[in-house]
Amino acid sequence: MNHNSKTWLLIELPLTDYVEAWNLQRALVAAKARGELHDDLVLSLQHSPVFTIGRRGGREHLKVTEDFLKRSGIPVIEVERGGNITFHGPGQLVVYPIIDLEAAGIRVDEYVCRLEEAMIRTAAAWGISAGRNPLNKGVWVGGNKLGSIGLTIRHGVSFHGLAFNVNVRLDPFSWINPCGLDGVGVTSLERELSREVSLTAARERLMSHIEEVFDVNLVQRNLCHDFQEHICMTRYSEMYSSDSYNSCNS
Amino acid sequence: MKKMSEFRLPDDVRYSEDHEWARLEGDAIRVGISDYAQDQLGDITFVGMPNVGDAFSQKQEFGTVESTKAVSELFMPIGGKVLEVNEALEESPGLVNEDPYGRGWLILVKPDNPDEFNSLMTKGDYAKRLKGAE
Repeated sequence: MNHNSKTWLLIELPLTDYVEAWNLQRALVAAKARGELHDDLVLSLQHSPVFTIGRRGGREHLKVTEDFLKRSGIPVIEVERGGNITFHGPGQLVVYPIIDLEAAGIRVDEYVCRLEEAMIRTAAAWGISAGRNPLNKGVWVGGNKLGSIGLTIRHGVSFHGLAFNVNVRLDPFSWINPCGLDGVGVTSLERELSREVSLTAARERLMSHIEEVFDVNLVQRNLCHDFQEHICMTRYSEMYSSDSYNSCNS
Repeated sequence: MKKMSEFRLPDDVRYSEDHEWARLEGDAIRVGISDYAQDQLGDITFVGMPNVGDAFSQKQEFGTVESTKAVSELFMPIGGKVLEVNEALEESPGLVNEDPYGRGWLILVKPDNPDEFNSLMTKGDYAKRLKGAE
């Protein structure tokens, strides 16, 4: 741990429904905008299967019928982040840093570049040479996308973030034109290595590279204990108080 | 990143907390984003505009400026009705980077309450606010 570095609070969440995490992000951003929450923080989670469409996207990039989608049980949600269509599901590391970029003195393009760098270094730890592609932001292994980025900046605070494929199922990506690009493939650490990869190990590695590229210390916090006043108005807190979710009691 | 003192801050406009500028032109107000805001975002690839005739209150979101993968929301420096939008930005969103106070303007507004203009920051106040963020 570097004692001169700034602290970002790390909140690890369980497998989380997209809308719950979205509401939580918006509540935290609003709390920061009101000046009630000064900390920068990082949400780390996995989503239940979902397609999301960013502001640059549309349903024209869905290659399957609405009926097929309905039968798959995977919802499609339109959101305010940058970028086009993508898929999230278990086995994909999703990281939502909620950072006051203005206060941190980080330009948005530089921020995107550093998020890419954290993913590139994580892939390198498994011996995979991933890189940037002028075609599209995110990180690539050859012509296949390994990690994606989509952000919104509201009152100087960035939210949404990155999605990094560890051992997520890849077939739903073939039902869309990922990022709105035709003929783009998607890959994962597991696909590249042709062996199982531990999601926990990948998450720890990604977090340590986030610390490195942003020169911060990630300090773990518990959402329910430490941020209750900011989330009590969201549906998320209901999830926490339900019997089905007990990590807050641990 | 540029030093705060290197940003162009003309004194014929007023500035909002969210880095929009407003320029009084007769009884209308022209609106854009500051040199700091365009620099912070990087190369702008798309500007999401309201429609002519749309009405917004002060601080309400009226559009977006986007760089690849990042959408930055725009907030009204002053409440009013949109009289014109800068249609040139549809073809050339990079004008916002090149000439934020000139050809990169965003919208022209008929203000509901011209007094709101006086609540905005002067060049001096805005320069101090930027220095505070440095």
